[in-house]
Amino acid sequence: MNLGTRAVLYTVRKWKKTLLVFCLLLAITTLVLSGLAIADAQEKQAEEVRGTTGASFTVSRNTATGGWSSDGGGSYSTQEYLTTDRMESIAAINGIEGYNASIRTILCLSDRQGQWLEQMEPTGHAIVDCQFYSYGCINSKYHSLFLSGAMVMCEGKTIDSSVKNGIVISKDIADKHDLKVGDTIQAVNNPLSDDKTMNLEIVGLFEVVADKTDERNNYNESSYYEYTNNAFVSEAAMKKLLENYADVGYASADFFVTDPERLESIIHEVQKIHTIDWNNFLITANDEVYQNISNALSDTGTLITTLIAVITAVSMVLIILILSMSVRGRKRETGILLAAGISKPTVVLQYVLETLLIAAAAFPLAYLSSRQAAGILGTLFGKTAENVVVTSQHFTLTATVGSVLLIASVLVSCIPVMRLKPKTILSQME
Amino acid sequence: MNIMEIQNVQYAYDGKKKVLKGINTQMEQGKMYAILGPSGCGKTTLLSLLGGLDSPTSGQILYQGEDIAKTGLADHRRSHVAFIFQSYNLIDYLTPMENVALTSKLPPLPILEQLGLTAEEAKRNVLKLSGGQQQRVAIARALASDAQVILADEPTGNLDEDTAAEITAILKESAHKSGKCVVIVTHSNELAKEADVILQLRRGELQTLSVSDLEETASQKRRASQKNQR
Ligand SMILES: Nc1ncnc2c1ncn2[C@@H]1O[C@H](COP(=O)(O)OP(=O)(O)OP(=O)(O)O)[C@@H](O)[C@H]1O
Ligand SMILES: [Mg+2]
Repeated sequence: MNLGTRAVLYTVRKWKKTLLVFCLLLAITTLVLSGLAIADAQEKQAEEVRGTTGASFTVSRNTATGGWSSDGGGSYSTQEYLTTDRMESIAAINGIEGYNASIRTILCLSDRQGQWLEQMEPTGHAIVDCQFYSYGCINSKYHSLFLSGAMVMCEGKTIDSSVKNGIVISKDIADKHDLKVGDTIQAVNNPLSDDKTMNLEIVGLFEVVADKTDERNNYNESSYYEYTNNAFVSEAAMKKLLENYADVGYASADFFVTDPERLESIIHEVQKIHTIDWNNFLITANDEVYQNISNALSDTGTLITTLIAVITAVSMVLIILILSMSVRGRKRETGILLAAGISKPTVVLQYVLETLLIAAAAFPLAYLSSRQAAGILGTLFGKTAENVVVTSQHFTLTATVGSVLLIASVLVSCIPVMRLKPKTILSQME
Repeated sequence: MNIMEIQNVQYAYDGKKKVLKGINTQMEQGKMYAILGPSGCGKTTLLSLLGGLDSPTSGQILYQGEDIAKTGLADHRRSHVAFIFQSYNLIDYLTPMENVALTSKLPPLPILEQLGLTAEEAKRNVLKLSGGQQQRVAIARALASDAQVILADEPTGNLDEDTAAEITAILKESAHKSGKCVVIVTHSNELAKEADVILQLRRGELQTLSVSDLEETASQKRRASQKNQR
C-alpha cells in the first residue's frame, strides 16, 4: 500500500481530527485573506490621500533681514519681493505641480453702466457696500480658500495666467445683480483717486461652502470679511489696477507638490537655487494635513499588519501544537510503519500529505468565505465593504505561504519522534 | 542453510551495563526458534537487533551472509524480516485486509481466511476484533510479506491457552510448510516445546536447551514453589 492511499484513508477515517484541522485552517485562512484585502484597501486609500491631499511649501520675504522704513502710512519692510522670475525658477523644479501668489487689495466693483455692485448685506453706504476683498492671483485654484474647501467653483473656470482680464466672483453676488459667466464688470482700486478703471470679464463663479462657525477657515461671525464678498482677479489686470502704487509685489507664494512624501526633498532642491538670495526669503512646509491623515492611515496600516501577523503567528502555534500532539499520538503507528520497513521520510511524507489534503479543501473554501467576510471585517477598520476585495493574488500568496508553513509545521512536529531509533519508538509505545 | 547469523553481538543501552555480552548463533530457514529467559534479560533487545530496529554496540548481524548494517537497516526491515508483537500492533485506521496489504502485493483475503477470519471480519475495524483475531491479522501481515524471517515478541502473551496454542500452530506451520525462519520470544515453556530449537538468554549469553533441559528446569521451579508453599 502506498503512502498516498494511507494518507487518504487516514484523512477520511479519522474524520473528527480531519474536521478539527479543517475548521481551524478554514478560519485562519479566511482571516488572513480578509486581512490582506483590508491591508490592500488601506494601501490604496493611503495612495489616494497622497494624490489628493496636497502638500505645499510657502516662500515668503524674510522681513526680519530686510530692514524697515516708514512714512505717513506706517512702517513697512524694505525687503525685496518675490519676482515672477524667482517664482518661475522655483516652479521649474521637478515634482512641483503649480503655484500661486496673490496681491490683496479692496476693489470697488460696478456693472457696465457704472452702477456700483452691492455686498450681500449692505450697510446703506454705497461707497462701503461696493468694496470687495480681492486677490490678484497667478493661479486661483491653488488659493488657500479653495484648497481649504471654504469655497468651491460652481461655474466657469479659475483664474490663471492664460486669463488676461478676468474676474471670479461669488454666485450669490452674481445672482443678486443678474450677472452671469461671460458678462463684463468694472473694477477700480480707489474711485476717489486717479486709479485706473478696468473692464473685467466674469470667467467663473464660486460658492461658499464653509459656514460661519467653521473654525478651520477662521470664518466666524466676527469675521470682517464675508467670503461671498471676495473676488479673484487676473494677475496682469491687478497690476494695472495698482500701477499708481510703488510698494506692490508678491510677499509670498505657495508651491504645490505632486507627491506630499517628496516635499522635504523638493524643498532641499529649492534651497539650492543660487539665483535667489535665501537670506531674504523663508521657506515653510505646509503638510500638516497630509501628515495628520497619513499618520492616522499608517497607524491603521500598522494595526492591520500587526493583526495579520499576530493571527498568523497564534494560529501557526496552535496548528503546530495540534499537529505535534497528533504526531505524538501516532507514535505507535510510526513504530509499526518503521518496523514494516517503511522509511522515515516516507512516513513523514504521509503525515505532510494528510495535512496538505485538508489544506487543499480548506484553502479554496476560505477563498470563497473570505470574499464574504472581508467586506464585513473591513468595516471594522473604517473601510467601505466594496473596497475590500480578496483577489486571486491574495489567494495564491496565502495558499503558497500557508502550504510551506504547514509543511514546516509537520516537519517540526515530527522531529522529536523521528530522531528516535525505531526500537525506542516501539519500546516507548508499549 | 543459515539465513541469519549473529556474530559476537554485544549491546548496552547508552553506556550502561551490557545487556548482551557476546552472542553467537545461526538460524535456518524452515525452522522455528524459541528464545526463553527471565524478564529483563534482553530478549526484546536481541529480537530488535535481528530485525534491524537498532544496531549492536559491537559485533555483526548477517542476513544471507551479508552484514545488515552495510546493506541498510530500513532495507533489511522492508525486505527480509516481519515483526509480530505481543500487542498486535495493527494500524487502527486500516481494515484487516488493508493492514495485510500494507507490506504486500498479494490479495489479502485468502491469507486472512486461511488464518480463520471470515470475509466480514476481514473488512471490520481492527479494534473490533478479538485479541486472537488481531494477532491472526498481524501474522497474516507477516506471512503475506516477502520476509523470509518472522520475528515474534511474545505473540501469545495476551491470549488464552487455546488461542495461544492455535497461534503457535500457525507459526510452526509457517516455518515448516512455508519455509520461513520463525524466531519467537516467549515466557511459555509450552510454546517453547513446539520450537525446533530452544535458546535461553541468561546474563547476556545465549545457550541452547533441549526439551529435557526445559522439563528439568520446569520441575525444579515447581519443587521450589512447593517448598515455599510449605
Ligand atoms: N530504552 C532503554 N534504555 C535503557 N535500558 C533499557 C531500554 N530498554 C530496555 N532496557 C533495559 O535492558 C534490559 C533488557 O530489556 P529487554 O526489553 O530486552 O528485556 P526482555 O528480556 O525483553 O524482558 P521482558 O521479558 O520483560 O520483555 C532491561 O534491563 C531493561 O531495563
Ligand atoms: Mg521483552
